[in-house]
Amino acid sequence: MIKSFLGYLHSGVTPGEAGNLIWITIYVLLVFAGVSLGVMFMNWFERKIMAHMQVRMGPMRVGPHGLLQPIADALKLIIKEDLMPSNADKLVFWFAPVCVVMTAFCAFIVVPFGRTHTITDMNIGVVFMLGVSSLGVLGVIMAGWASNSHYSLMGSLRSGAQMVSYEVAMSMAVVSAVMMTSMVTGTGTLSMIGIVQAQMQQHIWFVFSFFPVGLIALAVFAIAMVAETNRAPFDLPEAESELVAGFMTEYSGFRWSLFFLAEYTSMMAVSSIATTLWLGGWLRPFPNLLGGRNWDLAFSLVPGLTFMALALLCFFTFTRMPRIRAMRGDTAGLGGLACLLGVLGVVMLLPGVRDRVQDIFWFTSKVAFFMYFYVWGRTTFPRYRFDQLMTIGWKVLLPISIGVVILTALIGVRQDLFALVRR
Amino acid sequence: MSFVAVLKKIFLIDLVEGLFVTFRHQHPDNLVTEQYPQERPVISDRFRGQPHLKKDANGKTLCTACGACALACPEKLIKVSSLRDPETKKKVLTEFDFDLGRCMFCGLCEEACSSNALELSPAYELALYSREGLELDRQRMEDGTPRKAYER
Repeated sequence: MIKSFLGYLHSGVTPGEAGNLIWITIYVLLVFAGVSLGVMFMNWFERKIMAHMQVRMGPMRVGPHGLLQPIADALKLIIKEDLMPSNADKLVFWFAPVCVVMTAFCAFIVVPFGRTHTITDMNIGVVFMLGVSSLGVLGVIMAGWASNSHYSLMGSLRSGAQMVSYEVAMSMAVVSAVMMTSMVTGTGTLSMIGIVQAQMQQHIWFVFSFFPVGLIALAVFAIAMVAETNRAPFDLPEAESELVAGFMTEYSGFRWSLFFLAEYTSMMAVSSIATTLWLGGWLRPFPNLLGGRNWDLAFSLVPGLTFMALALLCFFTFTRMPRIRAMRGDTAGLGGLACLLGVLGVVMLLPGVRDRVQDIFWFTSKVAFFMYFYVWGRTTFPRYRFDQLMTIGWKVLLPISIGVVILTALIGVRQDLFALVRR
Repeated sequence: MSFVAVLKKIFLIDLVEGLFVTFRHQHPDNLVTEQYPQERPVISDRFRGQPHLKKDANGKTLCTACGACALACPEKLIKVSSLRDPETKKKVLTEFDFDLGRCMFCGLCEEACSSNALELSPAYELALYSREGLELDRQRMEDGTPRKAYER
C-alpha cells in the first residue's frame, strides 16, 4: 500500500495516467488550494498594482502593506447577508454561481504545471479546456435570467454575445499553435503535455516559430482571452457606469464571492492555455542560448533564490516598519513571513526538491506575467463601446486569426516539402 | 493617411505608449498619499487652527479686554468679560469664552486684536465626542499651543 503510494513519485507520469486514485485526490486538492490561494493573492496584487499605477497606495491597513486584506474581504463576504430577489427563479439563481465556479475549476484538470504535475493528461486537452471554460457563459446567462432584474439581463445578454463571438477568434489562434506541434515529429497533438513536449523537441517556443506568425497568434489570443473573461477594457457585461454590476447586480455575500472566485480562476485558466501553447509551458527560458548542464543547474537554483530574495525584501521592510505600538503585530507577522519564505527558499535549493519544483515555478511565473498584463491593461485602457467590441471581434481579430492559420499551414507545408526534396 | 500613420495604427503604437505611461507611474517615488495617523502632515505657518490667547514673559495675559475680537466675529461666538480695576482705572480680563463649535476659522478676530493677544494656532486635531467640549474658557484658551513666529 505505502510502497505503491510512494512508488508513484518515481514513475514520471501524471497520476491520471498512472491510474493512482490517492495521488489524483491529492493533486486535485493541491491544485484547488493553490488556485484559491492564487485568487486571494491576485486580489491583493491587482489592487496594489492598480493603485501604484494611479499614484495611490492601495490597501495599507490590514496587515503590513495590506497583505491580509483579501482574508478580511473574504471574511466580510461570508458574514454578509445573502439576499435573493423576491421574484427570482430560486433554483437557477442558486445554481448559476455554482455552475460558473465548477466550470472555471474544471479547466484545471488538464493544466500542465510540469511533466508529472498534471492531474491527468487528455489527448484532447486543449479542446477540453476551451470547451469547459466557455461553458462558463451558461452560468452567466443563468445568473442574468434568474435575477429578474433589467441590469442583470442586459449584462448577461452582452456577456453571452461577447463570450461567444470572441471564442471563434480564440479557437482559430489555438488551431495555428496546434498545427505547429506537427512540425518536427510529423504527428500533431491536442494534449497539453504533448504540446509542451513538441516545443521541447523543436527547441523553440511557439511564439517565436515562423517568426511573426506565432507572435500574432499569441497577440490575438491575448486580446481574445481578456474579452473572454470579461475583464477591462472589455468588461461591458459588468460596466459599472452603465449596468451597476451587470449579471452580478442581484448577488451578494457568498454567492457574489463565488462569481469573483470564478472570474479570477478563469483568468488563470486562459492564461495557462496561452502559456502552454506559446510560452513553452513548464520549460525554462533560453534552452538553446544558455544550454548545457551548468546552465541547467543554474536555472534550477532560480526558484529557491527567488524565494530567498523575497524573504530578504520582507526582512528589509521588517526593519523599516514604524516602531509604534499599533504596528507591533504587523511587524511580528512580517518577520514571520520573512522566516517562512527563507525556509521555503532553502528547502527549494535541496537537490531532490528543486528538480520537482522548478517546472511548477517556471509555469507559474509565466502565468503571473499574463496576470500582470491583465491588470496593466485594466488600468491603462478605457472601456470599449459595444459595437466597437463586436467590430474588433468579428472584423479585426477573426480575419487576422484565420490568416494566421492559413499562413501557418502554408509555411509548414513548404518546410515539409523542402525536407522531402532534400531527402 | 501617411505611411507612418498607417503603421502606427496597425501596430497600435498609441496603446503601447499608454501602457508605458502607466508602467512608469508605478514607481513608489510618485506616491503623494499621506498615511495620516502614522505620518504627521506638514502644516503651513499660516494655518488657522485652534485659537490661542497669548501671555507675556511674566505669565500675565496680553489681552486688554477691549472686545474688538467679539465685535469682529461674524458668528458672535466670542464673549469677553472684564472688570474695572479701581486703582489703575483699566479694564482687567476676567473670562474669555470662545465657542469653537461655531467657529469657521476666518481669522477676523486675530486681525482685529490690537495687542496681538489672540492668534489661531496650528493645532488641528479638534474632534471631540460632545459639543460642550468645544466651548473653550479662558484657561483652555491660554493653555493651547502657541504659533511659531513667521515672516509676513
